[in-house]
Amino acid sequence: MSAGNPAASSPAGSIYDLGYRHYEGKRRGRWFAAWSLYVDSLRGIWGFGRPTSAKAAPFILAGLYALPAVIVLAFSSIISNSIATGATNPADLPNYANYFAGIGTFIVLFLIAQAPEVVCRDQRYQVLPLYFTRAIDRFDYAMARLLSLATALFLVLMVPVIALFIGDILMSADAFKAIGSEWPKALPSIPSNLLIAASVASIALALSSYSPRRAYAAVGVLAYFLLVEFVPLVIYGIGHEAGAKWVDYLPLITPNTGLSRATDWFFGTPIPPDFPSSIGAGAYVLAGLVSTLLFTGILAWRYRRIAA
Amino acid sequence: MTTAPVANSPAVDIAAQAPAIELVNVARWYGNVVAVNDITFSLGPGITGLLGPNGAGKTTLLHMLAGFLAPSAGTVRVLGLSPSRDPSVYRRIGLVPERESVYGFLTGFEYVRFNARLQGMRDADAASRVAIERVGLQDAADRAIGTYSKGMRQRAKVAGALVHDPQVLLLDEPFNGMDPRQRLAMMDLLGEMAAAGRTILFSSHILEEVERIGTEILVMVAGRLAASGDFRAIRALMTDRPHMITIRSSDDRRLATILIAHPAVFAVELQQNAVSVQTAHLSAFRRIIAEASLRAGVRLIEVSPADESLESVFDYLVHR
Amino acid sequence: MIHGSPRNPILALPEIFRVTVRQLLGRRRTLLLLLLAALPLLLALVFRLFDRIDVQRFSNSVFDGVLIAIVLPLTAVLFGTGAFGAELDEGTALYLLAKPLPRWAVVLSKAMAAAALTLLLTVGSILAGALVEVIPAGEVGVRATEAYVGATVVGGLCYVAVFVAVSMFTRRALVIGIGYTLIWEGLLSSMLPGIANLSIRQYALGAGDWFVQLGREPARLPPETAVVLSVVVVVSALVLATWRLMRFELSGGAD
Repeated sequence: MSAGNPAASSPAGSIYDLGYRHYEGKRRGRWFAAWSLYVDSLRGIWGFGRPTSAKAAPFILAGLYALPAVIVLAFSSIISNSIATGATNPADLPNYANYFAGIGTFIVLFLIAQAPEVVCRDQRYQVLPLYFTRAIDRFDYAMARLLSLATALFLVLMVPVIALFIGDILMSADAFKAIGSEWPKALPSIPSNLLIAASVASIALALSSYSPRRAYAAVGVLAYFLLVEFVPLVIYGIGHEAGAKWVDYLPLITPNTGLSRATDWFFGTPIPPDFPSSIGAGAYVLAGLVSTLLFTGILAWRYRRIAA
Repeated sequence: MTTAPVANSPAVDIAAQAPAIELVNVARWYGNVVAVNDITFSLGPGITGLLGPNGAGKTTLLHMLAGFLAPSAGTVRVLGLSPSRDPSVYRRIGLVPERESVYGFLTGFEYVRFNARLQGMRDADAASRVAIERVGLQDAADRAIGTYSKGMRQRAKVAGALVHDPQVLLLDEPFNGMDPRQRLAMMDLLGEMAAAGRTILFSSHILEEVERIGTEILVMVAGRLAASGDFRAIRALMTDRPHMITIRSSDDRRLATILIAHPAVFAVELQQNAVSVQTAHLSAFRRIIAEASLRAGVRLIEVSPADESLESVFDYLVHR
Repeated sequence: MIHGSPRNPILALPEIFRVTVRQLLGRRRTLLLLLLAALPLLLALVFRLFDRIDVQRFSNSVFDGVLIAIVLPLTAVLFGTGAFGAELDEGTALYLLAKPLPRWAVVLSKAMAAAALTLLLTVGSILAGALVEVIPAGEVGVRATEAYVGATVVGGLCYVAVFVAVSMFTRRALVIGIGYTLIWEGLLSSMLPGIANLSIRQYALGAGDWFVQLGREPARLPPETAVVLSVVVVVSALVLATWRLMRFELSGGAD
């Protein structure tokens, strides 16, 4: 159909000014670009700016994690009398200190669903070069993505804490006095949940970054959290009976159990008897930090090497 | 290839009487979007080009013919059968889908033989070799399809679709990714098959492809059948269409009065801040407009031809 | 037709089977699964390292806790949803469906390919672990091995059939399969005993009891019931998948 086009029949080539304007304003540079990416991923994890179906998984899974807190509140308002008389042991109910240890599986589910969401599409649709030609470099990209996932997880982890906190206050006779007495009890949740969020986010994202397909990334993350959780504990169990000393270190590498013990350190709770007595709770905190660094390193390494 | 005329089984005799492809008041919608709207036509042996801009519903139509979509209304018959209900009709249909996906780990030969075996052919190996030869892939037949270029993949797909010598061949954008020489070869191949009495329907959004091989065409625009019949007749109607040019000037009204006096100008319409002109000859008009503006002392701000894309040509067909 | 009369569609099964097997043996996925399948062997070596031959404990923690609870459903979900799901994803399903084959033949050959790979991997995994740790215990070990191989076969067939069926209904079959495995089979079936009748893992273990009491606290399902329920699951999943495939429509909007 070129015959009808006057430009094609004109003798020499020419360049048309189509009126595109150049951006003359200030450029805000690398940190702002990284910040934008962070905010965008965080919104993406919760499905904001995406269709409703994208919001379903994160909110349902975060809701599942918080659900027991709500149930506990309902229950405890009924049975608080029986607790007072010693009929039920209050330590068995979910509280600030043991919440993650009891219900952490849902955090894994949240990771399986959302961690691949954060990094896989960019590889699948081959848009990484578009990022790397902007103000951010590869490291910034990886860190912005990681921080956004960690932030999202921290929010998920804090919802039941806040629910328990508010619930306990409202249920007490004197709200202001209750705030004073509850506050110190709840406070360790902040550092312990920060550690949990950073640690599991780094694991999940590092593993996810190795597959462009979300489904396979999900399987990889799942396999890690199930097997690295389970296998060391089995070996520890058998080795401990056989009297081997080195197996005492194995529970340190488990993701969920290890972080549950790290939480014990923040709350000053004694470590349960089925864990090696030679390893203090502080060691689990250290292990959590080391694992975070290690997987952050793997993530950064992956993005240093990845073809884009 | 053993292209003995298909006339020795009773089922074929029935099919020979019915048109190879028959659509009656066919419509297909997805929720609120109507992809194909009340289409009726029937095709016999020969090549037919299905033409239309992207999104016109060509793929939806082909998928209905191939039985991968049931029509929301109306009836689709291929060789007298409803393809979405009766897989046995695939024995006599060959399909080349638009998506480029193939089993990348199979070699070209293996892929064609896979198709032959699933067709239940007795001598799948021999038939596959013939089909590979027909599309000219002999040299690459033992390489994995994953290593093929786009055009080679396209040819492998065609070989897989015609290995069982189907009565009806449906091709969705078959020339995508082929270089001009490959296109010509493919066109020849389709021509041969048509001459042997096969019914071939292929879609394209590029007029020139259709022009070269399609004697019969169907034009779809926005889900509806806009034109059908002999290509040359329709094409003549299309070029008959006057060119639309939009002009903005310092004095539209004055310019319009001068332009209307010219024989090369069919119509002039004053619009808000612009004057739109219909003319038969673009090159002549360029001279006229320069002269006219000079004579009238009118300053031209903008002279732009209205969209001459395929889509606007089709628009013309629809709104005529 | 031209090249001979219509043949028995069963003859197309091996062809689809072969292609599906090659399709499923993608590199990274297979590597991950091999790693998972190597676990029982690894753990068996650890047990031997500590000079333990403890059939009961090894079976419970490794065969039941790792293999049947984790490795088997994961393998089945990857192969089961991949068998047809990958073809839908990549668009190659059209080549398969534009053939004069009854739909049950397509479903059956896909399911058989996925099941063959799943069982090859998991049964191999059990045997490897058993050779090192369980069978050396003598008669008890042999029986336990038989029991877990039986359980794996039954569980594997059920999982694969279900996941093949799920992949016919949704593109997100893999995520759904994982969610189901974790929440239903993992969490709920151990928390709510009533689920035993609706849990593939319990069918598998129940079927294993056919050979030898697997030594769990009172078996939740008698072997006969477990086997009957498994057959029901497999057959109805395949029928459902066929039904769905007969109504197969390409998804996606206009063009």
